Amino acid sequence: MRRRVVITGMGVITPLGHTPAELYASQLEGRTAVAPFTRFDARTMPTSFASEVKGFELGRYLKHDLERYSHCGVNTQFAIGSTREALADAGLLGEHLGDRTRMGVYLGSGEGAEDFPALMNSVGIATEPGSSIADPQKFCAAIRDVLDPLREPEVEMHTTVGHLGTIFALDGPNIACQTACAASSQAIGEAMELIRDGDADVMAAGGAHSMLHPLGIAGFNRLTALSQRNDSPQTASRPFDLTRDGFVIGEGAGIVVLEELEHAKKRGATIYGELTGYGSTADAYRMTDPHPQGLGAIRCMAEALKDARMKPADIGYINAHGTSTQANDSAETAAIKAVFGPHAYNIPVSSSKSMLGHLIAAAGVAELVICVMAMRKGVLPPTINYQTPDPECDLDYIPNVAREKRVDHILSNSFGFGGQNISLILSRYRD
Amino acid sequence: MAEAPPSPRCRAVIAGYGFVTPIGSTPEAVWESLRTGKTGIRKIQTFDATPLPCHIGGEIPDFVARNVIEKSYRKSLNAMARPVQLGVVASQFAMQNMGLVKGSISPERFGIEFASVMGATELNDLARMSKVCTSGSRQPVDMEAYGRDAVPEMPPMWMLKYLPNMPACHVTILYDAQGPSNTLIPNDAAGVEAVGEALRILRRGAADFMLVGGSESKINPLSLSRFNSFFPVTHDNEHPTTAVRPFDRDASGTCLGEGGAAFGLETLEHAQKRGAKIVGEVVGYASGMDRGHKGPGLARIIRSALADAGITPADVDHVNAHGLGVKAYDAFEARAIAEVFGKSVPVFAPLSRFGNMGGASGIMELLCSVLALQHGELPGTLNHDNPFPGCPIAVYTGAPRNVTKPYAVKTSYTDLAQCAAAVVKKWEA
Repeated sequence: MRRRVVITGMGVITPLGHTPAELYASQLEGRTAVAPFTRFDARTMPTSFASEVKGFELGRYLKHDLERYSHCGVNTQFAIGSTREALADAGLLGEHLGDRTRMGVYLGSGEGAEDFPALMNSVGIATEPGSSIADPQKFCAAIRDVLDPLREPEVEMHTTVGHLGTIFALDGPNIACQTACAASSQAIGEAMELIRDGDADVMAAGGAHSMLHPLGIAGFNRLTALSQRNDSPQTASRPFDLTRDGFVIGEGAGIVVLEELEHAKKRGATIYGELTGYGSTADAYRMTDPHPQGLGAIRCMAEALKDARMKPADIGYINAHGTSTQANDSAETAAIKAVFGPHAYNIPVSSSKSMLGHLIAAAGVAELVICVMAMRKGVLPPTINYQTPDPECDLDYIPNVAREKRVDHILSNSFGFGGQNISLILSRYRD
Repeated sequence: MAEAPPSPRCRAVIAGYGFVTPIGSTPEAVWESLRTGKTGIRKIQTFDATPLPCHIGGEIPDFVARNVIEKSYRKSLNAMARPVQLGVVASQFAMQNMGLVKGSISPERFGIEFASVMGATELNDLARMSKVCTSGSRQPVDMEAYGRDAVPEMPPMWMLKYLPNMPACHVTILYDAQGPSNTLIPNDAAGVEAVGEALRILRRGAADFMLVGGSESKINPLSLSRFNSFFPVTHDNEHPTTAVRPFDRDASGTCLGEGGAAFGLETLEHAQKRGAKIVGEVVGYASGMDRGHKGPGLARIIRSALADAGITPADVDHVNAHGLGVKAYDAFEARAIAEVFGKSVPVFAPLSRFGNMGGASGIMELLCSVLALQHGELPGTLNHDNPFPGCPIAVYTGAPRNVTKPYAVKTSYTDLAQCAAAVVKKWEA
């Protein structure tokens, strides 16, 4: 008798809202968070816009040790905010509530941001004019004196999830993964398996990421992954549209509280939905491009359906990975058709990224939260900026306007750079 | 000795391993170093790190990926920074040692679990960029010049060179591994967590064969500069071979290392079906927090791992500790181990031979015990001469002694008290 896993709490810090309700309302309104960069002076960058979190204050979420955690990168700060909200929502915030050794955290976690001025200046000091070689000895001597010893530990990748365990007294499994755009969905799937296996009863699962810094943005630009539609940022993210030219980078965090069903019922928890299926595969194809026929994506959707003991026709809505790159949107469409056959044309598919941008390691969890809200409220969010259909992408993408539809089972896809494919199935809870 | 109760879950066996490390890049070389007390820690030589308070480390003296990587994959090297190269080559060595090539394992049943972190950017990648937008220390970067003139100088593949999930990605491509693929990042705890997740994937039937690996290189100017600013590193640069002293009265701090290590973990059924030569078994695992590094939390996690393995402390030959050589951390780890084992089970800490390999440490340290059990000998802990006052554990030192029991327990933890423990077993056909 397999243990069932339900969602009993949610929290998000995103460019479209700092609560699940705000995020969902924005998605239904078709509101975009994309705007010119304010985080740093990006006016001469190839891409000068992004989807930024606005108005976040750590002090709203942290009563103690605010000074200590203010040295953390924004990715960690967003994670702290989301976790606090999710645990409060689940009624599990206090350390005295439940057996904390049976409560863990699993995060899809992005890297911290380097100290950009210290790094660039020190390399500059170590490099002779006209040279392409930096002298390591000169570099070490220069940077040694400008590094902030309180800031540097927070760049390390284990710190986000480590702080969550400490701050929120989660003494169970403490794990983080970094599989790029798939990371938070993978964290949620693996956290679900930990609960199924009996290693934990509660897992705070999700992701946090912010790459809105000069090196990260430059890196993506050099890979030609980002849209460069600087003259029209708000329409730049146009998944499945013929004229799509790359994704729009965002930032944020989200946490869902996953809980073993009997444990949730015993304490009278509110059950938002049930996680019924998880599929995980690798493309084994390229570093960034997905397999053009989406072979890995096909198998992971099929695996998720098999795990949920469902048929393709049981799915009422697909929340696509839908990044607005040429490669992903075509491959994902092909994969959906291969899995769902003719029924693919009856299932609405939409991309939250059209409005939210791409939250990278936090994308999957933010999108799952939107799916939970959509299932509970009976209105599916649209894909906005959809103007010019692409003959290769001919499914029903809920163009531009939200749609009332009651669905019982939702499939959510996340396909990461590096070829990791993750599918999750969310279901209406039935006893 | 207690007999392990029959497990309803499948058994997970180790069929081979690969290494690129400061103490050797073949299993034979690594084992010989362990047996003979050879250390890989030295004054850093690949660049002049003397401005830094700690400039010793576990450095691989002669790793040139181009010379050892699969010929067909050489061109991908320019998209791989050193940590990625170490992971890919170690994985390749593991597959070669197991006699496996692309297609040997059914792609859909072949998964990857890797432990790694973000690589530090190579200075030369930023050199030309820096000259067009900086003007000296503590000055703001000219962002107008950065966007217009520096960004076009950034190598196009810059980001891909350093991403933590790239070792796993390259390995999936090299060997057509299309099963579950994950990369874990909690530094010192990531390796054992990766082993645990691989074990769970096999147990739930989502794969038959998992390549489990770890890779890291902190032996570069940026990482070493950063870590010198906050990590408890030793300043005993004059005595690199004896500087790192696990659980020792004269411990002065740890040092960093680099390396790649990988092994194949598969279901017993799958291994037997393909006639694999089995060299060990992974039987249990647990992970959790011990907030404040108090000791009882890690003890609880050790006990969970023992329970997962279905064994008791009396079945354990030795405990393989992280043994950083940092007084407060050593005391914490010793408290936890003592709570479970007292002084009755010896403790072995391999880290004094190669430094803290970060994301790769869990895999590398664990494999030292796999080798020990396989060869039937427990090596001594290098640089443990006098236990710290009140040390509650018995650290094994000196010449190798015979393994007397089938199990070893690996403990690992981070500076934020994220902990993990695994149990490995000697393979007896």
